[in-house]
Amino acid sequence: MPLNGNATSGNAIANNPLGTNSQRVLTIGGLLLIAGGMLFGEIFAIFILHPNNARIGEAMYAASQLIPQGDVEGIFGHFQAIGGFLENRGTKVDAHSHAIHVGYIALLLAALQPWVNFSEDGKRRAAWFFVACGLGLPVSIFLIHYVGLAYSPVEHIGWASIMADLFGALLSLAVFLQFLGLWRHARSGERLDTGQGPGGGEQASRLLLAGGLLLLVWGFLYGAFYAAWLESGKAIPEVDILKSIVTNAASQNQELLGQDFAAYGKFQMYRAINVATHTHINEMGILLLLLSFAQRLLPYSDSARTRWAILAVAGGFLLPVGILLEIPYGVVGSVIADSAGFAVIASLVAMLLGLLRHIRSAGEGAP
Amino acid sequence: MTTPQRMLILTGLFLIAFTMAFGVWYAVFDEHQTLVGMGVQMATGFAEMAAGEPGASSEALENYAALSQEYRREVHAHGHWGMLSLVLIIIGLAFNRLALSERHGLLLAWLLALSATLFPLGVLMQIGPAAGLGKLLTVPASLGMVVGLLVSAWALIRNPQRAAD
Repeated sequence: MPLNGNATSGNAIANNPLGTNSQRVLTIGGLLLIAGGMLFGEIFAIFILHPNNARIGEAMYAASQLIPQGDVEGIFGHFQAIGGFLENRGTKVDAHSHAIHVGYIALLLAALQPWVNFSEDGKRRAAWFFVACGLGLPVSIFLIHYVGLAYSPVEHIGWASIMADLFGALLSLAVFLQFLGLWRHARSGERLDTGQGPGGGEQASRLLLAGGLLLLVWGFLYGAFYAAWLESGKAIPEVDILKSIVTNAASQNQELLGQDFAAYGKFQMYRAINVATHTHINEMGILLLLLSFAQRLLPYSDSARTRWAILAVAGGFLLPVGILLEIPYGVVGSVIADSAGFAVIASLVAMLLGLLRHIRSAGEGAP
Repeated sequence: MTTPQRMLILTGLFLIAFTMAFGVWYAVFDEHQTLVGMGVQMATGFAEMAAGEPGASSEALENYAALSQEYRREVHAHGHWGMLSLVLIIIGLAFNRLALSERHGLLLAWLLALSATLFPLGVLMQIGPAAGLGKLLTVPASLGMVVGLLVSAWALIRNPQRAAD
């Protein structure tokens, strides 16, 4: 990869923030990864997450019923099934979160391109390298559950896992290359006018910046209070519930066993919802901050930009609120969270289309 | 690019590359083994009770709880390094919109860069023998992030003209 050569620099590129091939590749790749990851998350939540949780609970209950009979083989059989359900869920969550996170990094790298001190061709190749690995990683993670150990050269790790690890390592290398380019710029001491492109969209940009920062503060405080609550000893530890389950199952006390499973279900629900709320607050915060940078590039009227920004901010705040409302209101909370998620996706798609229009109208003369 | 911007962006990129490398190492050498261990210990907890060994059952379930805690901390450290590195880069890119003096800007950049690096490290350290030190580290580091974000928001609001650039 010829990364050296005529290093690209200067205010011309900085003044046209989507003016180079590397920026276009990273911006469009990033937005597609984020929108794709979010859409996948919606589908996963509706069709896989909830039925899968129910199957895990049923298998564990069935395993507990075998304790009085001393059926050790049957118990291990049920836990093997639980392992499969957990892998199904875990790989979907990982595919969803990795696609979104890699998309975020792609957008940030696009914004940083004016300061990456490589030749134009080197930057374009490095951008394609990043996006290709960024697409390969979540797809490989998704396939782990389905490919399994078929034709695997390793006893416990399948081909999809090997590919996911490989793409992860290559992504790390792709980021390191960008780091190297920035380091070269930092050492050169060259100053760049950061340029602001076509301009406009001030209100939308401010709305997104303020919303994003507020969400991040909320996310940190939420995480800190949740951790403090766990440390305070007010939460019943998972291990205590499990010990109670096996004890009551052995003594065949079905009434207490039913209470234990209800407590275990509640414990799992509280943990999953609290973690998801914390994660989604932060992710929505970062997304809003990133979108604030794109506003001046959108060929829409100020009122249209503000409208899409309001939709993104409202969706960003409502999504974690909806997740949290799943505790007292169940499906109602899920519907709010899913609707908010779709609102953010709609806003993202509108901004992506705007960026594509901007690129088409300004791209002819670009390098 | 100013010194605080350079500090935030380079720290952010370094943390992304580092956490990705950590994630790959973790996935290959530790995650799979930890997950299998968790499943085996929980199943053993049930099986030992079925075999009439409540002591062994309790021990297996305690092992499951310890592994589960370890797994969550490792995943949290990886995830938090990734998220915080993005926050550093974004604030670095928007730094010229903040109404801060050069000295205050530099202090803010140091605060955010150190907090983002040390908070996940504190989470990770809670697994090993330095668990107490890890806990001690996470409190000021998370506080540093909250203060840093609030100062950033305040500096942005204080300067509405530049924020709109």
